[in-house]
Amino acid sequence: MVSNLTKYYGNFKALDSVSFAVGKGWIYGYLGPNGAGKTTTIRTMLGLLKPDQGEVQIASVNPTKDPVQALQSVGYAPELPTLQTFFTGMQLLDFMGRMFGLNARDRKEGIKQLLNLVGLKEWGDKKIGKYSKGMVQRLSVALALINDPTVLIMDEPTIGMDPEATAHFRNLFTTLSKQGKTVFISSHLLDEVQRICTHVGMINKGRMVFDGPITQVLEAFTQQWVIEAELKEVTKTIVSALKKLDYVQDVKTEGNKLRIELKEKKDLRGEISSEIFKRKGVLLSLNLHKITLEDAYLRALKGGQ
Amino acid sequence: MSALRRITVIVGYEWRRALAKKSVLTLIILAIAVQSLILALYSRFAVDTMFLTEEVKPFMWILGVLQGQGLFVQLIAIIIAGSTMSEEYEHGTADILLSKPITKVEYLSGKFLGGFSLLALVEALTTVVGVILASWFFGPQNGLQYVPLIFLAIVYSTLIFFCLSFMFSEVLRRSTLTMLIALVILVASSITRQLLVQLYLTTEEYLYFYLSRGIPTWGANYFPSLLMRELMTIPSTVFLNLINDPLIPIEARIRGVSEAILVREALQQAAIIVAVYAIIFILVAVYRLLKSDVTKKTA
Repeated sequence: MVSNLTKYYGNFKALDSVSFAVGKGWIYGYLGPNGAGKTTTIRTMLGLLKPDQGEVQIASVNPTKDPVQALQSVGYAPELPTLQTFFTGMQLLDFMGRMFGLNARDRKEGIKQLLNLVGLKEWGDKKIGKYSKGMVQRLSVALALINDPTVLIMDEPTIGMDPEATAHFRNLFTTLSKQGKTVFISSHLLDEVQRICTHVGMINKGRMVFDGPITQVLEAFTQQWVIEAELKEVTKTIVSALKKLDYVQDVKTEGNKLRIELKEKKDLRGEISSEIFKRKGVLLSLNLHKITLEDAYLRALKGGQ
Repeated sequence: MSALRRITVIVGYEWRRALAKKSVLTLIILAIAVQSLILALYSRFAVDTMFLTEEVKPFMWILGVLQGQGLFVQLIAIIIAGSTMSEEYEHGTADILLSKPITKVEYLSGKFLGGFSLLALVEALTTVVGVILASWFFGPQNGLQYVPLIFLAIVYSTLIFFCLSFMFSEVLRRSTLTMLIALVILVASSITRQLLVQLYLTTEEYLYFYLSRGIPTWGANYFPSLLMRELMTIPSTVFLNLINDPLIPIEARIRGVSEAILVREALQQAAIIVAVYAIIFILVAVYRLLKSDVTKKTA
């Protein structure tokens, strides 16, 4: 739980009364443009930065006051990590396991499983200095999982990964959340967040502009639903009939396509298609365009809420 | 997991990190090479001269052990400590380490003890090599029962520049700048001490005498040799005097007291000075770490 978090860098207010709570089993997507305060929030959550005001609690413990207890069940993968190049992947995992007090047997088994999980089985005994960026990123995720954490904090976890690995890690995060783990992801990839996150927080210029379930974010920023229809031929009769409907705000024509703007946030494709059939129209396609997370995000940043 | 265990984990980490640095390994090899070369040169050119009489030969291990004290050991101390904290900030690995279940004080303690124990190991190595080479070149050595104590004195005396470099490493969070500043302080401190000694000899003003003892290099350089003089009687020769505080015989003459009394007095002062500097430097480093944010990757 982050409560009323304020952080200054000199005179610059990097975080301004940021508050949100993340529940067990959620995948919380933390969105914001560059310099919005995402990494500052994460680093404050981990006790790396001291807040000027407010408080962070992980499982009811403040990591600044008691990092040993607060961070025991936390896994963290930083943005574009630089790992200790003098270690091999296995050695670094082993060292991190030691930091969490894991015994030798658990470390050995955990390391093998994690290297398999992140696709670095063949690279475990190679020096990290020889890893590509994507491999370092994968190892960083493995490091975050070494203590079997209940809270996973990921800062841009899929940056630098190829599409196959990105998809693999998305599935991994979903699986982890289904196991009851809390996953906190800061990301620029709106599509990624929309696909896997259950909840979303949006931050801009250090201030939270939205915090809630992903279903609500789309709802909150939706101004209008639109149905796009492609017809064999658009006639004046069809257009004027559609315009007369109570739930239609406006109809715009572009070639053989119609853009029907609705007054209500409802899926009215059935009603629209029957109206077109009644007027002898031949429908080629009919799509409902709700707002995307990207639209919501852009509106939120513009102060659209 | 106990705090001690967490500190031990960081100590092990610090060893691996420091030994992975080529500059540390190079300097260790160089220190041993220079140590060997000096003793070899003495055995080749100084035997049976006024520098190396028969009665001095059984004490050549002193030269073998202490000759690196002034420069190489301090330099290794500066290089090991200079990157201990700062490199983690520069590489961004401090974030990874400090986001684990460990307190900042435990982390700093592990880093300090890791670096310092490695330095002690290097000093143990150069001490053993010094004794072996002296025995090899000059025959059986006397007073070897004091080697462990002298080794501990060397370790203790390096605390000043190790802690100084460690402090700057945490305060500045830049390795190169830290090492440069520590090195400048080492050199400037040597020069300043020489100036103060000359001023004292010229004016016989005690202020200069005490100021010269307050300079960090005095404690760092002379604590082991003062202990050696306290423990055993060493034949006074030109070269053995080089590693002793040259002011002691002069001071004994001026004050009309025995050198033994002045050596004991100086030994106590050196021990206190090393401790005071080390404690101040460590406290500054702890304060900086506790009171400031963990710096993001800087290099």
